[in-house]
Amino acid sequence: MSEVVKKKKYDLDRRDMPKQPPEVRRFNFDEVALGYTPELAVEEAKRCIQCKRPTCIGNCPVEINIPGFLNRVADGDFAGGIRILKEKNCLPAICGRVCPQEEQCEKTCIFRKKGGQIAIGRVERFLADWEAQQGELEMPELPRKTGYKVAIVGGGPSGLTVAGDLIKMGHEVTVFEALHKMGGVLVYGIPEFRLPKVIVNREVEYLQMLGVELVTDFVVGRTRTIDSLLDEYDAVFVGSGAGLPWFMDIPGENLNGVYSANEYLTRLNLMKGFLFPKYHTPVKRHRKVAVVGGGNVAMDCARSALRLGAESRIVYRRSREELPARLEEIENAEEEGVIFDFLTLPLRYIGDENGWVKAMECQKMELGEPDASGRRRPVPIEGSETIYEVDAVVCAIGNSPNPLIGATTPGLIIGKKGNIEANEETGATSREKIWAGGDVVTGAATVILAMGAGRIAARSIHEYLTSNGSA
Amino acid sequence: MTEKHMKLNSVEEILDYAIKKEEEAARFYADLADRVEQKAMGDVFRDFSKEEQEHKRKLLTVKSGSAAMLSMDRVLDLKIGDYLVDITLSPHLDYKQALIIAMKAEKAAFRLYHNLAATTDDENLRALLLMLAQEEARHKLRFEIEYEDYYLREN
Repeated sequence: MSEVVKKKKYDLDRRDMPKQPPEVRRFNFDEVALGYTPELAVEEAKRCIQCKRPTCIGNCPVEINIPGFLNRVADGDFAGGIRILKEKNCLPAICGRVCPQEEQCEKTCIFRKKGGQIAIGRVERFLADWEAQQGELEMPELPRKTGYKVAIVGGGPSGLTVAGDLIKMGHEVTVFEALHKMGGVLVYGIPEFRLPKVIVNREVEYLQMLGVELVTDFVVGRTRTIDSLLDEYDAVFVGSGAGLPWFMDIPGENLNGVYSANEYLTRLNLMKGFLFPKYHTPVKRHRKVAVVGGGNVAMDCARSALRLGAESRIVYRRSREELPARLEEIENAEEEGVIFDFLTLPLRYIGDENGWVKAMECQKMELGEPDASGRRRPVPIEGSETIYEVDAVVCAIGNSPNPLIGATTPGLIIGKKGNIEANEETGATSREKIWAGGDVVTGAATVILAMGAGRIAARSIHEYLTSNGSA
Repeated sequence: MTEKHMKLNSVEEILDYAIKKEEEAARFYADLADRVEQKAMGDVFRDFSKEEQEHKRKLLTVKSGSAAMLSMDRVLDLKIGDYLVDITLSPHLDYKQALIIAMKAEKAAFRLYHNLAATTDDENLRALLLMLAQEEARHKLRFEIEYEDYYLREN
């Protein structure tokens, strides 16, 4: 009896989210996770014990009132839940899908030690999808226009967050995006099977309905400089992301068939290469693809290659335990049949007579003695060199910010790693009237961190505009 | 005489040579600092130059009688620089390229002392040359760790 009571009080059974079976999904680009049903969402939300001092809120970069929205869902009040969620997060359908909740809000959940942490992200996603199904969006009441104009450089997560916040504070906002679609990494980087683009479009349309002006195919730094924008706008926020891919600087990287993850994913996601001939930009179908790296981007590339019919392998120089990708994505990749070569380092790529990559030479690694920091670093095993046959390689080891903004904006201080230097508390840069946030400041990070930085900058821009009279 | 065929015949000669090499390295980075476009990269190369000057000071201390400052302990070799392509010097160098340049330079210095050690029958001179080689390996490891922590997160 006492056990029954205990079970009822502390339900540690984290509800699974239905997914497409691996043998089906590996042949399509449809979303893998299918989302909670209303019943599952209510069951999951009911498990939250509404801690008096909840630690989940402080671990969310945008400080969503998590127990608050879970409480509403537990009562079946989905409209109330989404209202609470949207007080702090203007992109819940996106965050519910791609945020690393296990490293943030769910990390300190009281049930985590027993493996039963509340699936906050899944309920968040449910609420956002539920709202979309209702047809009509609840529009917030907007204040009187202030007359101030703000330009936002980059239509990715940080820029869209700043846009959403500032328009609700009464300012006029224009977002300038270099590509032909808004969304930044959400549209060019994350594949359809993890984040359907219709969801990004929905969030962008919501901002448009609020009155945000969206300008695409506009490269700030080329089409117009930031200084030129400042002739017209009272403040500028730079959220241009980290779009400059890194290569390994090993021989053979200029061969045909060696892609950066940016290029590979952009061809597929933004240009819809996988839907050729419906879309006009075909992507080459490779037979054997090696993806170098171990993060979420590497998983996205490997799983995309698999869906295009290739034998797909991840080549990673550390062991499985060190993979930086989300566990969920690693497991999805494993289930779908991606091959993992751990403790393996590419040394060079070998080309055929036409300049196409045909093989890669790799070396096995082992973990060395702990160094001064206590970390065991991978060291090569002499004589373990192996040749793998491949016809494509995707380099997914990381990105830096594009140097264009720094090169065309005098006085803007750029750090040694190519990032814009900005005040953590405000997003203010070394130049008056210019703020920055997201990957362009931190280097490639997560969507929610970029949104958090956008929120901080929006507050600071608002304070600046309203306290200065005219900026 | 090329470095390949060089022979150093006394402790003093070896240390003078090593000190000269550190001075050259400090000058190389200082020149580079003045030639790169980005201010932050200029600062990076100025810091590298200061590090080389520190190495020189350490060797001067050794020369004045504190040989215990050097060690024969084998330093971990991550061999990251070994498989990377050479970087062409230009005003547009970025931090990643700066680290590759530094790693490769330290590795070359390590190899030089190691090879020189193999050319002498004098135990004391060999020990000193091998200690200098390990010193260079230590410098290289500092750059390799920085490179690995930032550019080889593979994320």
